[in-house]
Amino acid sequence: MYILNFNNTAFITIALWIIGLLFILVDKKLKNARLIGNLFSIIGTLVIIGFLIFLWIEIERPPLRTLGETRLWYAMFLPIVGILTFIRWQYKWFLFYSLGLAILFLTINIINPENFDKTLMPALQSPWFVPHVIVYILSYALLGVSSVVSAWGLYLIKFKTFKPELLNKADNLVYMGFSLLTLGLLFGALWAKEAWGHYWTWDPKETWALLTWLCYLLYIHFRYKNKQKIITALWILALAFIVLLICWIGINYLAVSGYSVHTYSS
Amino acid sequence: MSNYKKIIWQYPWRYAESFIIAIALLILGFAINYIGKNTVSSIQWPVNLYLGIAIIILLLLIYFLFKKKPFVKWLSSIPAAISAICFYTFLVLLMGFIPQGSPKASGLVHEIGLSDIVSSHAFLFAQIYFLVILGLVTLRRSFPLKGNNTGFFLNHFGLWLTLFAASIGAGDLQRVTITVSKTNAVYYGVNQKGETIHDLGVAIQLKEFNIEEYSPKAFIIDNKSGDILSKQIFYLEKGNKGEIMDWEVEVDDFFEYGVCMGEKFHPVYDIGAAPAAYVITKNIKTNEINEGWISCGSFRFQGNFLKLSDRMLLVMAEPEPKKYSSKVKIYTTSGDDFETTIEVNKPVTVNGWKIYQLDYNHAMGKWSDISILELVKDPWIPVVYFGIFMLIAGALYMFWIGNKKKID
Repeated sequence: MYILNFNNTAFITIALWIIGLLFILVDKKLKNARLIGNLFSIIGTLVIIGFLIFLWIEIERPPLRTLGETRLWYAMFLPIVGILTFIRWQYKWFLFYSLGLAILFLTINIINPENFDKTLMPALQSPWFVPHVIVYILSYALLGVSSVVSAWGLYLIKFKTFKPELLNKADNLVYMGFSLLTLGLLFGALWAKEAWGHYWTWDPKETWALLTWLCYLLYIHFRYKNKQKIITALWILALAFIVLLICWIGINYLAVSGYSVHTYSS
Repeated sequence: MSNYKKIIWQYPWRYAESFIIAIALLILGFAINYIGKNTVSSIQWPVNLYLGIAIIILLLLIYFLFKKKPFVKWLSSIPAAISAICFYTFLVLLMGFIPQGSPKASGLVHEIGLSDIVSSHAFLFAQIYFLVILGLVTLRRSFPLKGNNTGFFLNHFGLWLTLFAASIGAGDLQRVTITVSKTNAVYYGVNQKGETIHDLGVAIQLKEFNIEEYSPKAFIIDNKSGDILSKQIFYLEKGNKGEIMDWEVEVDDFFEYGVCMGEKFHPVYDIGAAPAAYVITKNIKTNEINEGWISCGSFRFQGNFLKLSDRMLLVMAEPEPKKYSSKVKIYTTSGDDFETTIEVNKPVTVNGWKIYQLDYNHAMGKWSDISILELVKDPWIPVVYFGIFMLIAGALYMFWIGNKKKID
């Protein structure tokens, strides 16, 4: 029925990314391998950007409503951030992480085929919809990287090869991710006032979003005065991400979810 | 830093003292709920204004008169801030797991206030503790205010102002639901406590209620249980072709407003007319062809389905609303009468009220003869928004600085 075929697009993209990563893996042995690798990664990303644009037109609404749709956005933003970071700072691990996660998201979407539904409840039809969800997606992507840093840090500490500079990198990511988290929360509040008459109603998603925000707030304040307490900081960072995951995915399975404007219907 | 071990409660207080105080406040809050069996009731205008001014003066006095005292120094320290964040986080975490406001709540969880945490004493104490510490931290870094404190000030004072105004202003928030119809103007509504409110200062009459709907979807359901079996999204629009489970489906004809007469549906625009589609189905495996009218029906007319097999029926789901709005005439006490349209996400402001489109009669759907509106008055909103805009500015500043550190 749709001109767009998600599976074909996803397979092409994944193939392009894997080829790109393989070239980057052997860049010491092969001339121009890095350039070719970057090129493949960029083309793969352009394919997914094109898919999102066509999908948006096809379903006549921003494809930001369901979890599956937001995964598509991650599969677009993560590679963009990963490729730019790689070109600018040459962090190979970061490119592998971001493309790897994007491949994972696309694979989840292939396994759980989604029927892109045109309907969007009237309350969601607002100019706030796109900025609210996009800043959250970017924020989660950044905080996701910081959680990888924390897991990697905890692993390194076990083998006593940890360097404090690693946590400084996480700090930068958390500062950026946290500021976007704040914007997402506030945009949501301003939108809620226009749509439902009040900016804060302790909807379960709101509660968990606030919790996520508080956990990163805790991390920032802890790091501010306790630079030497590395292990505690790493654990706070790891736990904060678990709270974030509950807020993002787990909310649908909690007893409190009940009626929430944020429960994504399937 | 120092070699000797500090005895607890000896200044300067650090994490141990901060957390003991936070936990003591938490237990005290639970105990008051348990013994008093009452919830915190919100204060109203003008008491909240006086209290707000008193708190601000108190904070300023504490800061300017006693800023050198170790206790006040502790109140604006990182350990105190962290204990306050943890205290607050702990209660919000409980809120994230325990269903709130459930009328069936009972037992200890209910008695210490955990079934309605926002109105519990523990939450009140957490907020006061948080606001006192945040307020004093803000003051300490604001005098004198330096350029490199801009981000700090925007974030901390913005958060303080937002929370402070939202908390003390909560009692002044009025939400009144009003059901309007075409017959006459309605001047009263029901508030959140279920009380009828008469002195709204406005009266509203419905002129026209409009719904724009999406095309209805088709599903295959189980004949006996009524469960939906198909997962595909298939819109019933004239000429649409597609597959649902094992059937190729084609929409041969479609009326947005249809009424069944005899065997056939006809396009009739009448109250209760429901969408109807003439569909042709072909089983992919057996090539068996079925055709007929399907309709979701309405409060007035019966629906229709197409039998595909002994077990399966092809049905039309009720169309989902895309937009709904009320054209209304508003009468005000000042004699300023006017017509306007109220839509979801597009409230209208009249006499200090913001009027929202809330609901309609779902059983009658697009033929609804009533519209449910909500009137909201929140006089503290400018102050809350001022805080929110400071926080937005602070977040943008923080994003930028976080970026800079990375480049350095």
